[in-house]
Amino acid sequence: MIDVMFGSLGALLTSPQTMGLMLIAVMIGLIVGATPGIGGRLSIALAIPFVFGMDMTQGAVFLLTMHAVNGTSGQISSIMFGVPGDGDDAATTIDGYPMAKKGEAGRALGASITASGVGGIIGAIVFAIMIPVLEPIVLAFSPAEFFLLAILGITFIAFLAGGENIFKGMIVGLFGMMLATIGMDPQTGTARFAGDYLFLWDGVSLVTCVLALFAVPEMISLAVKGGSIAAISMEGVNFSYRQIFEGVKEVPRHWFLALRTSIIGALIGMVPGLGGSAAAWLCYGHAVQSSKTPERFGHGAVEGVIAPETASNAKEGGSLLPTLFFGIPGSSGMAVMMGAFLILGIQPGPAMITKHLDLVWTLIWALVVGNLIAVTFLLFITRWVAVLTFINATMLVPFIVVLVVIGAYVNEGQWENLLILVAMSMVGYAMLRADWPRAPFVIGLVLGRIAEESLHKALDLWGLSFFTRPLSLVLITMIVTTIVFAIYKSRRPSALANMQVSA
Amino acid sequence: MNKALKLFGIACIAAQASAALADEGVEFFKGKTVTYIVATAPGGGYDSYGRLVAEYMQRNLPGSTFVVKNMPGAGHIIGANAVYASKGDGLTLGTFNTGLIYNQIVNQQGVKFDLTKMSWIGKAASDPRVVVIAAQSPIKSFEDLVAQKQPVNFASAGPGSASFVETVILTNSLKLPVKNLTGYNGTDDQLAMRRGEVVGSIASRSSYATFIENGYGRFIAQIGGAEKDVPQLSSLVKDARALELIALVQSQGDIARLTAGPPGIPADRLKTLIGAYKAAMEDKELQARAEKLERPVEPAYGEEVAKAVAAALNQSDETKKLLAEALKKDK
Repeated sequence: MIDVMFGSLGALLTSPQTMGLMLIAVMIGLIVGATPGIGGRLSIALAIPFVFGMDMTQGAVFLLTMHAVNGTSGQISSIMFGVPGDGDDAATTIDGYPMAKKGEAGRALGASITASGVGGIIGAIVFAIMIPVLEPIVLAFSPAEFFLLAILGITFIAFLAGGENIFKGMIVGLFGMMLATIGMDPQTGTARFAGDYLFLWDGVSLVTCVLALFAVPEMISLAVKGGSIAAISMEGVNFSYRQIFEGVKEVPRHWFLALRTSIIGALIGMVPGLGGSAAAWLCYGHAVQSSKTPERFGHGAVEGVIAPETASNAKEGGSLLPTLFFGIPGSSGMAVMMGAFLILGIQPGPAMITKHLDLVWTLIWALVVGNLIAVTFLLFITRWVAVLTFINATMLVPFIVVLVVIGAYVNEGQWENLLILVAMSMVGYAMLRADWPRAPFVIGLVLGRIAEESLHKALDLWGLSFFTRPLSLVLITMIVTTIVFAIYKSRRPSALANMQVSA
Repeated sequence: MNKALKLFGIACIAAQASAALADEGVEFFKGKTVTYIVATAPGGGYDSYGRLVAEYMQRNLPGSTFVVKNMPGAGHIIGANAVYASKGDGLTLGTFNTGLIYNQIVNQQGVKFDLTKMSWIGKAASDPRVVVIAAQSPIKSFEDLVAQKQPVNFASAGPGSASFVETVILTNSLKLPVKNLTGYNGTDDQLAMRRGEVVGSIASRSSYATFIENGYGRFIAQIGGAEKDVPQLSSLVKDARALELIALVQSQGDIARLTAGPPGIPADRLKTLIGAYKAAMEDKELQARAEKLERPVEPAYGEEVAKAVAAALNQSDETKKLLAEALKKDK
């Protein structure tokens, strides 16, 4: 085992051809990731013709690195302009963009890029450790557990809104869940609130909502206010690698959080059915919930950047597991990847461990090395990228709005989404002006759909008795604890405030 | 003046001649861009076949450029509507689920196409349907399944999908002791069989190839296809009604991965497109690539496909009623 493990690392590092391909793959992956609207899935589908005739290992390494570093660059526009590339990145926006507004874009990017890298690497380690116990763990999660996990995520809304705003948070969260019911009813197959508008049959587009709720309101407010994204003048900031390095150091400072969210992310990736965006949002919620000072979140807390980024890169390692060893892909991106593996002559299935152990290890190392290359490269260029937040709004806003419109259109290729973009942007701007929390909306939208679908399935399968499955009981305990904890926390500061008043 | 008029006349004739020439098949496509609509998101079967077809048709239509455009949503209806609504100039083609035949038969909401009027280019594969049973289940044969006292759980994709419709009409007409659980999209059904929450599924054979090779399940009956390793479902039942529905499902499987254009493509261009499609399908390189993807190529062309589609659409009122019930399931 050990000799195969390090033998494949040696082989990987000493083959100039493979390393060259990896370098190209990292660059393509980063560019695709930084462009809103183009997902990693499309990039693999387009790259498939190029891997024909490639050596099995090289082709697989090429595609996997390209896919794995995709999430690393998506955060750049989320943090700098509040424009998330997709649902995962939206979680990073909530605290990343306020940091940029405070003139800390460099610190935020340093932290998030490092977090991505750390997440990717821990994800690879989890992958390696999990191989022997993969089967029982993956098979333990059924629709009953998906439902309860989604509910657990929804309860995090209580923390996201924080103290006084808990009711506003719940209203926004319910609004998100309400919009999640638009589309084909998963149970009866009738179109709900969609009628003849086919573009609504698959539900409201998540990317469009996220852009409308986060990016557009911020741009309007920036245009109204004038100036630049960073609210302080450029002279006041020590704009150098030092600020970025400050951000990098935030990750080891919060090492325990990074470790936890990486592991949660990898586990969610491993269990097909929950979807990628759920990983980032559950971990963001976890960061808020476990923080001693949850009120800082939403106003530029660095933990709010670290948690979703570790999770979204760690889940790539996780989602590779069922793809490789069951031949059952863990995500839509992995489904395309599996098609590519077949072309390369890799037959995913349990035989991978016995027949292709060296390839498995090469892929694990490729995840590690690819993430390291991506992080190094991004940290190097970040200094120049972060300067953009000091550009005057009159020059920046039109450019960003174009990016947002393209992102909303390209993601599903349907022009009707532009109407949704306009309508939801108004809602988003109103929420921004009234200082209502916006994150609960996305949680409601992402998890509401999962909750509904899995609840139907679980009831069909086991009736109400699904609540008594052993893993269900564990999750129910977690949900109850979360709620009790939320009530306790929300009461405490107000009690404190009352005391101060009376004193 | 006279000279100028003469020149103008010549120019006119020349322009007409070149226009006439341009209309003649192959010449027309020189320097043109053909949009190939895939009715799903990138990745997956339709996308792989679509990209292969587009790439090799481009090679066989000198000077042309094929661009693949993914138009996912509403269970292939968005993509099929887009193909149907496009201009019939031969510059838009597309691929979508054959299962839309079901949607058209019952005139489903949202359907804005008429499959009988489409310009049929060809189909790339046969995708026979199979009854799959999870490896850990004691059900070893179709007879075992029929003999079950308690209904067993089967998984299918969402209501309205082809997988759902086929499961409903087959279990109803064969009176199988099966409870159909919906919402297992993508490969969720395979995972559910591994977990044991469902016992089986009625699915396309190709989508379960890896699953069976890994020993996670077995086929107990097949509809259509040339494989001899699994008994044909039609040989296991005697009821005439059931056989009629099995034949309908079989016709679906026979014309899988089709390529079609909107109505009204001029005959010479359609002929050229069918020719290019045929040359693409016969290309050894395409076949080798498809083989590696575990996507078998079993082509048919133009008129033959059009006839098969028309035949499948022409169903008895009883069948139509059954389909309508299946598609408009209301709990």
